[in-house]
Amino acid sequence: MSDQWMNRLSDYLDGELPDGERIALEAHLPGCSECSAGLADLRQVIARAQMLGNEAPHRDLWPTIAQRIGATGGKPRTVDLGSRRAAARRLSFSLPQLAAAGIALMALSGGTVWLLRSPAQQSVAPSVATVSSGNPPAINAAVNPRGNATQSYAAAVADLEQVLASGRGQLDTTTIRVIEQNLAAIDRAIAQAQRALDADPANLYLNTHLAETMRRKLDLLRQAAALVPVS
Amino acid sequence: MNELGLEAAILEPKQTGRTDPDAVDATLAASGDASAFERLYRSHVTRVYGLVRRMLSDDDADEVAQDIFVRAWQKLGTFRGEAAFGTWLHRVAVNVILARRETLGTRRKRYLEGDAVLEMIPARRPGPEMAMDFETAMARLPDGAREVFVLHDVEGYRHEEIAEMLGLATGTSKSQLHRARMALRQHLGR
Repeated sequence: MSDQWMNRLSDYLDGELPDGERIALEAHLPGCSECSAGLADLRQVIARAQMLGNEAPHRDLWPTIAQRIGATGGKPRTVDLGSRRAAARRLSFSLPQLAAAGIALMALSGGTVWLLRSPAQQSVAPSVATVSSGNPPAINAAVNPRGNATQSYAAAVADLEQVLASGRGQLDTTTIRVIEQNLAAIDRAIAQAQRALDADPANLYLNTHLAETMRRKLDLLRQAAALVPVS
Repeated sequence: MNELGLEAAILEPKQTGRTDPDAVDATLAASGDASAFERLYRSHVTRVYGLVRRMLSDDDADEVAQDIFVRAWQKLGTFRGEAAFGTWLHRVAVNVILARRETLGTRRKRYLEGDAVLEMIPARRPGPEMAMDFETAMARLPDGAREVFVLHDVEGYRHEEIAEMLGLATGTSKSQLHRARMALRQHLGR
């Protein structure tokens, strides 16, 4: 009789036993040392399993993984778009475009993502220097007022998007689709990071991610625009 | 939902009060950011590696762990953010592990019935007086019992999830778990 209950002990411990059987087993246990001992042992087995730690690999597996996913050069796979056309020309940007992108990049890499944030939060941060203390004065001057950086970034993005839109018909559909998918994903990442920063404006991780993601959008747009043949 | 299915990956901060950094990295990685993917790798490799070691063997662990992360990179577009990234990655890992096991043809007496599982561990013990590490005892369980035990008691999956992953009936998952526990019971305190 005890064997019958012994086979039900795991279900009992896991809460999988129907009420009727559970009540019967609980009535049986006090008078059965074998089942009681078995139950105690199984509890120990479960506890041991839950306490098991994990051992890190003895060597760093990342270099091989990076190589296999094509990331050894540190470039994201979206950048591989450039390799689709070995003879793709480099697009020449106007000075204002370069200046806008440059200013925006300086601002972003300096951790001044707050400039692009909501007015309520901007009013909390009176100057670039307060959030980018490592920036030299010259850069602070370059990105201040905040509107210039915002506008410069937006202008650079808009210009590149216009180049891409005008050359859309000259790119193959697969390329267009990949570009649009990646841009959409980046835009959503930017929006999500901005929303997250609304709740946690001082979060360095999120600020860094937002800056990096915005920079990546510029990079992607530049490379995509460079695929458009000269008309 | 975007084309990559990632819109839900970021938990709404206004609802949760915090943002899942893994979800941010998963979003970036899905758009091609290898640095973000490396951060995910660093965060999860130890747990994934432990799963591989317990489900397969130390010998295969490095290669299979690498396969898992390469597969995860390839499948990032299917990550919907409905569960934590770690949970999604674990499912990917289990699938890779099971596929590897099939490929290697290493299954031995999978999903034994009766008391066969109980008989195998004592037969494999180096000697009655020799202490056997709990991990070693786990490693000597037959594949089917070990898989269920690792997934349920170590990794915390439910029987329904295990049954789906392994292609078993839920009842089989339960019986394998009990047999594994009863076998391991013999090695407590040794």
